[in-house]
Amino acid sequence: MDVPSKTVPQPVREARAGSHDGAARPSRRRGRLSIEIRQHASARLQGVVLAGGLLAGLTCAAAILLAAGVGLPNLVQEFVVSIVTSPESVAAVLVQGAPLAVVGLAAALAFRVRFWNIGIEGQMISGAIAATVVAIHDIGPPALRLPLMLAAAALGGSTWILGPVLLRLRIGLNEIISTLLLNYVAFNALLHLLYGPWRDPENNFPNSQLYEPFEQLAELGWQNLTWALPLAVALLLGGWWLLSVSRFGFLTRIAEANPRMGEAQGLPMTRVILAATLVSGALAGIAGFMICAGAEHRLTQSFASGYGFSGILIAFLARNSAPGVLVVALFVGTLFVAGQSLQVFYQIPASAVQLLQAVIVLCVAASDFFIRHRLRWLR
Amino acid sequence: MSPALVMTRVSKSFDGYPALTEAGFAAHPGEIHALLGENGAGKSTLMNVACGLYRPDAGEVRVRGELVSIDGPKAAKRLGIGMVHQHYRLVKAFTALENILLARGASRYGQGLREVEAAARRHCEALGFTLPLDRPVGLLSVAEQQRVEILKVLVEGARILILDEPSAVLTDREAEQMLDTMRRLADEGCAVILVTHKLGEVKRYADRVTVMRGGRTVASADPDALSLSDLTSLVVGAEVRHARVPARNVGAPLLRFAALAGARSDGLTVLNDATFVVRAGEIYGIAGVGGNGQTELAEILMGVRRPLAGSIELDGAGDLCAEGVRGRSVGLAAIPADRAGYALAGSLSIADNYAAGAVLSGRFGSWFRLDRRAIRAATEAAMAAFDVQGARSPNQRAGLLSGGNAQKLVVAREFADPPRAVLAHSPSRGLDVRAAGAVHARLRAARDAGAAILLISEDLDEVLLLSDRIGVMSRGRIVAEFETPAERNAVGAAMVHHA
Repeated sequence: MDVPSKTVPQPVREARAGSHDGAARPSRRRGRLSIEIRQHASARLQGVVLAGGLLAGLTCAAAILLAAGVGLPNLVQEFVVSIVTSPESVAAVLVQGAPLAVVGLAAALAFRVRFWNIGIEGQMISGAIAATVVAIHDIGPPALRLPLMLAAAALGGSTWILGPVLLRLRIGLNEIISTLLLNYVAFNALLHLLYGPWRDPENNFPNSQLYEPFEQLAELGWQNLTWALPLAVALLLGGWWLLSVSRFGFLTRIAEANPRMGEAQGLPMTRVILAATLVSGALAGIAGFMICAGAEHRLTQSFASGYGFSGILIAFLARNSAPGVLVVALFVGTLFVAGQSLQVFYQIPASAVQLLQAVIVLCVAASDFFIRHRLRWLR
Repeated sequence: MSPALVMTRVSKSFDGYPALTEAGFAAHPGEIHALLGENGAGKSTLMNVACGLYRPDAGEVRVRGELVSIDGPKAAKRLGIGMVHQHYRLVKAFTALENILLARGASRYGQGLREVEAAARRHCEALGFTLPLDRPVGLLSVAEQQRVEILKVLVEGARILILDEPSAVLTDREAEQMLDTMRRLADEGCAVILVTHKLGEVKRYADRVTVMRGGRTVASADPDALSLSDLTSLVVGAEVRHARVPARNVGAPLLRFAALAGARSDGLTVLNDATFVVRAGEIYGIAGVGGNGQTELAEILMGVRRPLAGSIELDGAGDLCAEGVRGRSVGLAAIPADRAGYALAGSLSIADNYAAGAVLSGRFGSWFRLDRRAIRAATEAAMAAFDVQGARSPNQRAGLLSGGNAQKLVVAREFADPPRAVLAHSPSRGLDVRAAGAVHARLRAARDAGAAILLISEDLDEVLLLSDRIGVMSRGRIVAEFETPAERNAVGAAMVHHA
């Protein structure tokens, strides 16, 4: 377009603006980086970017371990060779991974309806206490004891989340605070029981009596795997159906993205949020039952310790999808198992293992930027 | 006089999608320059380049004759370019002064605040603004918030003012005041750029008009030399007719509002004893100054707000306000005014947004298994039928659609089944002539198919154009009803006199 300009252009400078030097630069630079919002990212691109983030995280983690004095060959040995070749390690990863997958799924379900369930540990404790009530008081015939304990654990877990959900839906109380604080309530109740009425009468240790054999999850017959693993697989399948196949999964995505629109469309948003969070609590309770009945065979003080954080982490890395939870849970399980041998054989502190987790999470989280944006070099 | 701002052959694309193609623009000191065009014509993009939010892929920008590279809002500020965005950039909990200070920056809070206050008061006096500078802006009206935005750019020393759709949310009178202010600023030597698609404003206030279409600037002319229909055809590339189409077969009352009362979220009762009926086959338009209970009326009808008293009877379906009754399942369609809030989920795909309307009906699979293929097919068909453009596939995020296309998507979803009753709340707000025309045609078609249509709009022209009967709403009740064609002044008087 032509610009009517009869006079010689004369820059008029504002008194306040001072110099233009900062802005009115001649094109001295050869190019510049431009950040653009990506309108659509294909599934393949997302996979590549996530894998890149993971790789960057693993590289950082390896660098930290190398700096701590673990040689590169040892690193490969502990994280790759022994995990793949030794059946004990494979079994250990699976034993670790089963409850991790279930807490990951619990977190994913709640996050899918934007309910920040920080209280997974409290719900695990509540579920395990409920299951132990069934075991200690011999409720139901022995043949039905385990299913009853499972149901009690699920009920216990969802009871523990019910209060925060109702408070959030009714009066808008922040669930992060309420679920977090209920962790301490559950933990102190657990200590009260274990130091009080449930203290083991045989050795006076502050943990519950050993469960009867029929109250323990039976071994599968390979290494030390128990029925906790098939249970976790079944729950993951159910979670996949719920989140990715069923109509309910679709409704959770609307509850996540814009519940006001769902409400205006006549969709039962309140009920969807309630259902998803109650199932989340139930899953956490079941995870508590899996650890107590499958590994510890009794109620202990610290069986749930750390699982809440891991669940959040797994759900986040898995982007709240069930297949993702499976993969990430196995990955975190590997990290745990390898971390244990690092502690034993290389004197790496336990906190370093947490540091590794955190570094990897940060890298994967940051890679999200490249899914949402496109970087280009402009000339 | 040397032009204040000249943009030459500016191109910009987003993710390979061209938004600007060699666009040019020149604004002079002392003029109000209207930038006219449909939604998605590239007006806002071009102005965002001028104020440093986007960097052009190609082309040059000159400010007061000097070649510049505006690589951020701060650089634009230093060059004396200030923009009032369509969606205000204000911190609601801050006072007007604090907002201005936030934009201007200061090393010391107290001293900065005093400086800003002095400057703001000077500008207020010069422009005749009455504005409580020390109240949180969240408590101010939309028009007052806009004044805060204008003060913000003036205190920063802007001599080139860009206003993006400034009158979209204002009443006629507020818009006039705002435009008079702009006139005064132009007379003082500012260059005022008015991004708009209101032709009347252009005719009345602009000294020059540049028209954009499809990312290109297609004309730059003196608006006095062009007739309204000339301008319209420049904007849309083809002639668009504005004619009333009266209802042909009006039936019995279908939707009855009886003594409806409702409160705003902060507890204030703003809807009071609203009583009226909408008959089958007619469009009942509610006119009124914003904030007289229209929003609450719409929210109660949509089922997202509970009434304090009263009822809404849909013939054959009972009271829509009763517990457990969902308007949607008995044939109510709703086009809400707050598109981002009630109509669409921007982070979900177009297909998901479309499916949300009928997902409970079983059309898209059972509770056990959602039928994604059916959703995709239905969405593609609807996007074609309702002319939703600007998306490569139904899997694209709905938030990336332009305003007009997003509204078409909403209409496509709401009219997927022939509705019995329709709520259309400011259905063409922020839409260009063509998109608004398409939405209006759909409303008329639904009316002629026998639906009862409730149109709520703060745009009096829209109410007069579409309605078969008009109710004026003031202080939460219907204070006057008009048969159409109604006298514009009579309706306007009823709106104001009861306020």
